[in-house]
Amino acid sequence: MFQFLGHLHPVLVHLPIGILLLACLFLWQSRKDRFAHLQPSINIILLIGMITAILSCITGYILSQTGDYDEDAVNLHQWMGISVAVVSIVLFYFRRKTYLHKWQLPLAFLLILLIFITGHLGGSLTHGSDYLTQPLENLFEDSVTAVKRKPIPNVQEAKVYTDIIQPILQEKCYGCHGSRKQKGKLRLDDSVSILKGGKDGVVIVSGKSTESELIKRVMLPKEDEHHMAPKEKPQLTESEMTLLKWWIDNGASFSKKVKEIAQPDKIKSALTALQKINEEKKPDLDVPQTPVEKADETAIQLLKDSDVVVIPVAQNSNYLSVNFVTANVSDKTIALLLPLKKQLIWIRLSNKPVHDSMLATIAKCTAITKLELNNTNITDNGLGYLKEMKQLRSLNLVGTKISLQGVMQLKELKNLQSLYLYQTNINSNEWIELKKAFPKTSIDSGGYVVPLLPEDTTIVKSPPTKN
Amino acid sequence: MTRDELNNQRLVKEANEKHLHFVTRRHFLKESAMGFGALALGSLLGGCHFGDSNSYAQTLFDPAHPLMPKLPMFPGKAKSVIYLHMAGAPSQLELFDYKPDLMKLDGQLCPQSLLEGKRFAFIRGVPKMLGPQAVFKQRGQSGAWISDNMPHLASIADELSFLKACSTDQFNHAPAQLLIHTGTPRLGRPSIGSWVTYGLGTENQNLPGFVVLTSGGRFPDAGKSVWGSGFLPSVYQGVQCRSEGDPVLFIKDPQGMDRDLRKASINAINQVNKEEYKEFKDPEILSRISQYEMAYKMQISVPDVMNINDEPQYIHEMYGTEPNKASFANNVLLARKLVEKGVRFVQLFDWGWDTHGTSPGDAVDIGLINKCRQIDKSITALILDLKQRGLLDETLVVWGGEFGRTPMQENRDGKQMMFKGRDHHTEAFTMWMAGGGIKKGFSYGETDEIGYSAVSGKVTPFDMQATILNQLGFDHEKFTYQFQGRPFRLTDVSGTVISDIIA
Repeated sequence: MFQFLGHLHPVLVHLPIGILLLACLFLWQSRKDRFAHLQPSINIILLIGMITAILSCITGYILSQTGDYDEDAVNLHQWMGISVAVVSIVLFYFRRKTYLHKWQLPLAFLLILLIFITGHLGGSLTHGSDYLTQPLENLFEDSVTAVKRKPIPNVQEAKVYTDIIQPILQEKCYGCHGSRKQKGKLRLDDSVSILKGGKDGVVIVSGKSTESELIKRVMLPKEDEHHMAPKEKPQLTESEMTLLKWWIDNGASFSKKVKEIAQPDKIKSALTALQKINEEKKPDLDVPQTPVEKADETAIQLLKDSDVVVIPVAQNSNYLSVNFVTANVSDKTIALLLPLKKQLIWIRLSNKPVHDSMLATIAKCTAITKLELNNTNITDNGLGYLKEMKQLRSLNLVGTKISLQGVMQLKELKNLQSLYLYQTNINSNEWIELKKAFPKTSIDSGGYVVPLLPEDTTIVKSPPTKN
Repeated sequence: MTRDELNNQRLVKEANEKHLHFVTRRHFLKESAMGFGALALGSLLGGCHFGDSNSYAQTLFDPAHPLMPKLPMFPGKAKSVIYLHMAGAPSQLELFDYKPDLMKLDGQLCPQSLLEGKRFAFIRGVPKMLGPQAVFKQRGQSGAWISDNMPHLASIADELSFLKACSTDQFNHAPAQLLIHTGTPRLGRPSIGSWVTYGLGTENQNLPGFVVLTSGGRFPDAGKSVWGSGFLPSVYQGVQCRSEGDPVLFIKDPQGMDRDLRKASINAINQVNKEEYKEFKDPEILSRISQYEMAYKMQISVPDVMNINDEPQYIHEMYGTEPNKASFANNVLLARKLVEKGVRFVQLFDWGWDTHGTSPGDAVDIGLINKCRQIDKSITALILDLKQRGLLDETLVVWGGEFGRTPMQENRDGKQMMFKGRDHHTEAFTMWMAGGGIKKGFSYGETDEIGYSAVSGKVTPFDMQATILNQLGFDHEKFTYQFQGRPFRLTDVSGTVISDIIA
């Protein structure tokens, strides 16, 4: 019951804020003749505001006793709140004594100031100190991710706690169990506090992850009210959970290095993944990040009239994807692409009689990131034009007559990530040279074989004998 | 009465009766058009109250061009899906979920704690535990456990992303299949392929957007509803093609009718339909016109794409296909051809994975191995073939059943059975995905020591559906269809995208 009163605080506080501000506003406005009739209402408004301010102080005090919040921050908020209540009482008193009337306006001004400060401090307590300014910071930063985790160059040399566990806690737990807030009286931002635990006792049983409250909470179903992190907050990922469990199972050491702890197979993959965190989070560049103006509708219609599929890559995007699957390819239809060269990013010309001169036109569409030319009539000569397509990320040349020399012309394409070269005129001994020339590109030479095993065609009639 | 009068009377009666024959239902509708108009007005006015709360969904269906390519909500990684459903539910404990501890318990009575409060389809009383009936090894760099039952698939373990802790809440085939494909265990909702073709249309207007191929001698237990269109316009339902004989019945022109005559007759029919549309403005008529046109085009394109005879020999060897024979392998090769031609969603159902142990054919150490041999080579070939053609990046391949199988040996009617089999199990099974922007060589989720239930990374059918839609560029929570006064979605009211497996 007592706690319930405390939890009313966030609701109640809005009353004195609104009501007292209104009282101050009336006080100021009623000096004018036009608003003089507001005078009689000021006292009653002030009285109600005063009462709610006092109630807010009481409930606030009860809430602070739960110990979920940082003491220093609460202290300041508390005294500011009390002064709001006191000043409102004084103001109410001044209103009743005519000789003090001249002081009421400065006092009202002070009251407004105090309300703003108290309100802001309270807001910082519940939402975090950076809550107000965060959207502004995002304006200046292009990435929204709050905590940027760096890849660990050599995970075996890394410290388990400082390099692996702490960043996880920092990203997913500190918000409520850190320096500012200590929900459930639990702090996770230093080793002493972690071992101390919270209101319900210790959270880590060294060596026994399944008995550790920390792990139990994390593993509960998302719908469970005791689940951590709360379901509206960012959740721990599968590998983060595995790493936490592994750390606790191996003694929850704060100083050991990774190589000093046994690493079951499961953990190995999670650990190696840490070496390339940043790679994984790379933004998807199949679609350029900078927006583009809308493509010319008539140009799109002309293509559509030739049975070419032209479609934006997504809603709210002006970038286009083009597919000739049911269209006839001719110099004329290819030329229709030019007015769309800024917007065109994906194009599929597979299995069509595309020849080299058409590539000269296509190469002018420099925004293209994905170009599919498989089973077309192109040759090395045509491939030369593609040098200019600096944004190209994926190029499909399967089933064409191109050779090593042709592909070599493209080695300046720094963005090229995948190159499909199955069934081309590239000899088996030329692949090594090619891989050297394109160190960052994944080259698929194809020609995979699924061998015929004796089992494939035999039918089992009885259980195999065990050996 | 004279004879003439009698005769006249008879003629008048006959004429009246004849006249009645011409009064058809259509007349009735025409005569009562006013009343219908009023009804229509009522619904139109009623519709006003809603405003355009769901403008996105409303724009998706254009009756004149129902399969036109449409744009996703955000740029999708995958453009097509090949969904391989092993109807009957393959045993995860003999394929991907390696449980050495279960081996130690083999033959022991199942502890009460695993049975209390649970219901099984066939297990009665106290069954015995059944250890894994296959040899497991770790495969590839990712170290995924795959049994010797799938030697080919094991060689491409590093291409796959396993979902090891799938779960469902239906322990009978039909409802479980419906749940996984339509988002509810009951009939009447659109299947995932219908949702996808409704949302994205298809890029090749000469082919259907959603093709279904079945093998194994029987349809899945839930019947055609698992590829039905539910309340979506019927044009989005899966088109089932036969893998033997004509892919679609009556696709060839009948004898004596040449292509021009066919064209002329379709033009005439469409002309009549257009007149009808002018008079009644019923959008379904436009839909019908476009269907006639599409059917005409498909007469050429479907037999072409559904013919695997033209594929080179090395492809047949790779897939293990035998032309002119109905087989799962043939269907897999067809799936690759269809996706190559721009078909949006290809769904394969292979029947015969229901390994209860009632006969050698459904024993986990006999029949299951044979089933594996039927699919292993072709599925492996599919992944590698898509990869070398540069299609794997934009094609999402999904493999799975409708539920899992128990770590206990089935004891139908409480009796020890002749063969080793496992009962239906809802709490744990394995599925995998590959391509389409999914991580390679990854494993998500974990089951307990005996593979009874999920320990971490539990995945529901809704999570799986949400993930498939996400890869195609849809937010499953916003992708809805207005029906019976409320927006419906595939994932109903739950589902979370399994972000851990997304590359």
